[in-house]
Amino acid sequence: MRQEAAPGHYRMGLHAPEIARAAKPGQFCMIQVSDGLHPFLRRPMSFERIFPDGISILFKVEGEGTRILANRAPGQNLSIQGPLGIGFPLDSSVERHILVAGGIGVAPFPALAEAIIRACGKVPEVVLAARSQHLLVGEDVFREMGCTVRMATDDGSVGEHATAVDVLERLAPSAQTRVYACGPMPMLRAAAEVSKRLGAACYVSLEAQMACGDGVCLGCAVESNREKEGERMVRVCADGPVFDAAIINWTAHNFAYDRSRGSLARTR
Amino acid sequence: MAVKLAVNLGGLVMKNPVTVASGTFGYGQEYDQYFDITQLGAVTTKSLSLHPRSGNNPPRLVETAAGLLNAIGLQNAGLETYLAEKAPFLREKNVPIIANIYGHSPDEYAELARRLEQAGAADAIEANLSCPNVHDARTGPGPVLVAQVPERVREYTEAIRSATKLPLIVKLTPNVTDIREPALAAEEAGADAVSLINTLLGMAIDPETRRPCLANIVGGLSGPAIRPVALKMVWDVARTVKIPVLGMGGICETSDAIQFLAAGATAIAVGSMTFRQPDAAVSIIKGIEEYLIRHGLEDVTSLIGSVQYDGQ
Repeated sequence: MRQEAAPGHYRMGLHAPEIARAAKPGQFCMIQVSDGLHPFLRRPMSFERIFPDGISILFKVEGEGTRILANRAPGQNLSIQGPLGIGFPLDSSVERHILVAGGIGVAPFPALAEAIIRACGKVPEVVLAARSQHLLVGEDVFREMGCTVRMATDDGSVGEHATAVDVLERLAPSAQTRVYACGPMPMLRAAAEVSKRLGAACYVSLEAQMACGDGVCLGCAVESNREKEGERMVRVCADGPVFDAAIINWTAHNFAYDRSRGSLARTR
Repeated sequence: MAVKLAVNLGGLVMKNPVTVASGTFGYGQEYDQYFDITQLGAVTTKSLSLHPRSGNNPPRLVETAAGLLNAIGLQNAGLETYLAEKAPFLREKNVPIIANIYGHSPDEYAELARRLEQAGAADAIEANLSCPNVHDARTGPGPVLVAQVPERVREYTEAIRSATKLPLIVKLTPNVTDIREPALAAEEAGADAVSLINTLLGMAIDPETRRPCLANIVGGLSGPAIRPVALKMVWDVARTVKIPVLGMGGICETSDAIQFLAAGATAIAVGSMTFRQPDAAVSIIKGIEEYLIRHGLEDVTSLIGSVQYDGQ
């Protein structure tokens, strides 16, 4: 199955029973987009939905690799390795769950929302933000699950003329709330700050360029608050991609390298 | 027909000529969940330093045409952690260990080699005299890599040689005018083998932000993009030194490995390809065996340096 969820955004269903059986929300897989050696590296993709016999992925075409993947025809075989990494923690004692998505950062949230409903017996609230109305993806998916969906756009074309974190702040998360955020790094840092100030736990799903996906190459490292030399860098692929926002050193991250201009692809 | 795959890399006996390149295989444990790593001729570890290193700031990685640029900066947990937590796993696996070491001085390299030998945590030492990622490019060209200066290669190799009886492999950089000079220096100073090539220095700039893609500005290029350069250097060195060569640089499949053996490599290492296909090295071992059978050859050593020139 392949559908264009928004201009340049694709949803693909992949038949992969073994991966689906083991997969947890927030984990990811490495996908080899072409049969030849070009592009050389595989693309990390989080699970949008997890079904009994397969998974779906949601991605934005950002470069050559994602363009090739978007053009793969239904029925073809793809080499996929997964599930990889550590996903979102689930805790049924939490009273309120708020999912905050910036742009294509929405990718891992439908699977998470389903799991929260099933495992925690709560219906999460969802904040969807993007540059503009036509780039908002997933509203229908969350509404079908019964979630309340609040939207925000940079240009005010739909929902509030605000950022995702502005909306999050007005939802007033408290100590009984858990915030889950995925999107551009500046958004994640702001979500972490607001959550901390209001006493809510916050989990962020990070993205990074990866070579292996198995914790070997150390290419996807981000700086943590750990002080011990040799443990300061954490691997997005193996120690994450989901992290407790409190362990990330947000001031160390050089936002100059963040290409996002209002929205961010999880992979290039 | 049973073919012989074993090779002797400067005293390190390998049951087949295939290992993995340092930094692309962790300490073996990460990939053992996908295949039996004892099938490898040897496991080469990520660079070990005396003390833990956090490595460079991110971003550390960017994909480029037919390969990738990295500037990891030798992040590792240090020798003590390796001896306590990583080496026991590899020892239990009964696969030869090539311990790759990195230090700031000849004394540090010597100490690493000595302690690895004493602890029985290595079957061979690969001295990384050639990591391009351990200085800050903004401060200028940075300290020259040891492997760029033959006199320093000699000095470092002698220091390590005097500290260990283990087979000593000196890893060379391609970022030189003539790689035969540091190779000869390593041989004269007592190295048992040389390995080449480490990564080629490279750079990428994001055209939208006009910023370097790597926080370190420059990085090391690997992958199939560098294979012809690596092959030519292996060929150059293998015709120049008498000690064996461990060849690497963009080896992705069996046909690549055959080229390196024909150019004179006694053994080969699979590097970045493992990121794309974790069991690539094992496929290549099987592929070399099939190649020998197909060509009616009994022993892989008959391939070493077997390149055929027209009219000769």
